[in-house]
Amino acid sequence: MSDRIEGVKKLFTSKSARVETNKGESYYLDLFEKCQTRLSELRASQPANRLDFSGLLNDNGIDRRDFMKWVSATTAMLMLPPMFSPLVAEAAELMNRAPVIWLELQDCAGNSEALLRSDGPKIDEIVLDIISLEYHETLQAASGFQAEKQLDEAIETFKGKFLLFVEGSIPMGMNGQYGTIGASGETFHDHLMRVSKDAAAVIAVGACATFGGIPAAAPNPTGAVGVMDVVKGKPLVNIPACPANPVNMVGVVMHYVLTGQLPELDSLLRPKFAFGYRIHDNCERRAHFDAGEYVEEWGDEGAKNNFCLYKMGCKGPMTFNNCSIVRYNEAVNWPIGVGRGCIGCSEPDFWDKYAYERPMANAKIKAPTGGVEKTVDEFGLGLLTAAGIGIGIHAIASAVGGKKDDGGEA
Amino acid sequence: MNSEYKQVKRMTTTGRIIHWANAISMVVAIITGLYIGHPYYQTFIADGAVDKYVMAWNRWGHFIVAIIFDVTSVVIAYLFFFSRFEKAYKKVIPTGKNIAQFIEVIINLATLNRRKKFDSTHSDSFNSVYFLIFHLLLAWMLLTGLQLYVSGLESGLSSIGKWWPWMLHISTDWTRGVCGGTIMDVRIVHHYTMWYIITWVVFHIYYQVWRTIFWKEADIAIVFGGSKFVKEK
Repeated sequence: MSDRIEGVKKLFTSKSARVETNKGESYYLDLFEKCQTRLSELRASQPANRLDFSGLLNDNGIDRRDFMKWVSATTAMLMLPPMFSPLVAEAAELMNRAPVIWLELQDCAGNSEALLRSDGPKIDEIVLDIISLEYHETLQAASGFQAEKQLDEAIETFKGKFLLFVEGSIPMGMNGQYGTIGASGETFHDHLMRVSKDAAAVIAVGACATFGGIPAAAPNPTGAVGVMDVVKGKPLVNIPACPANPVNMVGVVMHYVLTGQLPELDSLLRPKFAFGYRIHDNCERRAHFDAGEYVEEWGDEGAKNNFCLYKMGCKGPMTFNNCSIVRYNEAVNWPIGVGRGCIGCSEPDFWDKYAYERPMANAKIKAPTGGVEKTVDEFGLGLLTAAGIGIGIHAIASAVGGKKDDGGEA
Repeated sequence: MNSEYKQVKRMTTTGRIIHWANAISMVVAIITGLYIGHPYYQTFIADGAVDKYVMAWNRWGHFIVAIIFDVTSVVIAYLFFFSRFEKAYKKVIPTGKNIAQFIEVIINLATLNRRKKFDSTHSDSFNSVYFLIFHLLLAWMLLTGLQLYVSGLESGLSSIGKWWPWMLHISTDWTRGVCGGTIMDVRIVHHYTMWYIITWVVFHIYYQVWRTIFWKEADIAIVFGGSKFVKEK
């Protein structure tokens, strides 16, 4: 256990932006053994529910071949060599040994929706179905005191073992009174602190839970903040985006079930396997960007020919996420694929700084002088005009009343 | 030439080459930078994407002039302290003498040259501070620009080796925090700084021309021939 804690600490203190995709053979052989031991331990343990994974796959019309394709893709996504595929498959079956508590704070429940509302559950959703969801505020039948009792029991039973998923931001204004939950009127903040205290790790899901998201957009009336701003001293993973991609949630849980550790994270605590790459660099429309072929307005000739959406405000060049690789809903499509730009939903402050749907140079933002919002170029031209007027006045005054040193002339 | 005037050497050949390299680079950087920020002209749809490469060429040009800025900035930073020709840093240290001269130069500008109580033979304290501001703006542009650039090297690889993105992260990641936390803030600040620099340039050109006209010491010649001419006292 202590070396595991050391490992987690090491992961959280390494802040290099590098994505190391090949860590060498001895590393993987070592990891393989560790994973095997971990999985056999899990298999021996009592499953938290009686859901049968292969039965569920059958019920949903997913055959073995589809499952094996999914296993290969997930192994690759986690940046593990192919020899880990059997272990990933096994870990998927053992998902019902991973107790999860899911808190729903200040948000739209979009991340839960993203999981639930797919037209037919795909393997990612099924894997998340069979995790042992001990408590989910939006989904559970229980309410009031009954729900609180269930939560207390879950915390007690799985003390120090459960993964805490958090969806939604934490309102800090007015002593947290903007959001209360349960029969006792506990504030979101207190609720989160109480449950996170006994969690093995906290996983913040979606833009709100990670960086405050839309509730934290200016003027942020409720004083909303992300989980990492209030929960300290716990292993924490951020899975931003609006909504977070179920693939990345599975990736993190899978990594945890498989290795007992959290995946490698970047400086914003996002797993590198998902957020180590820029959308722009794997975008199917990148060639049009380099060529200077842009959609000028919705529905124009460029739009019909899948030109780059940069001038329509696409923020792919500044956004780190794997949407352009894994897409959404089992790789069916993604925002740029349907012909509208990226709004940078997995970046901090995305609503104020990314989602204005025009190029940054054209966006109305608060100028350094404050006051009315203007574009950077409007501000710059204003500055230049002011300088020009000043110079003009000085030049005219000099011409009229200036004194030339006429020493050189006769 | 009027024998009452003596020739004063004010800029070395190196200094003048750097000045004009910077001036040209700046024009290129602004033209390409504005295109990168918001592509303001369209390309012909009839050509295949692979033939045009318009954005890519704009970015290439932007990066090339950025590298010229980088290198000349290092040279200028060195010369600022160690030049055998002129130790520019001595003019920006706020000593009593420098502050007095700084104020006198402003008074000279404000009184339309009716009062001129400082020695204009050598670089004065006001211009030295003004140039220092320019170099600080330029350094800031380089740091924010390299931060934007390195965010595209997320693999940690580059054609010249892993040390390059590593070094850029070490030296520029802090700009993100200073600008407001996100890469978009860096981009916004990078764009604002362009306008500060343009405004700086506008006044710089006006002021040098103004000096030439009103002081009658051929100040504008410094940047071409390296010398100005002052009256023998």
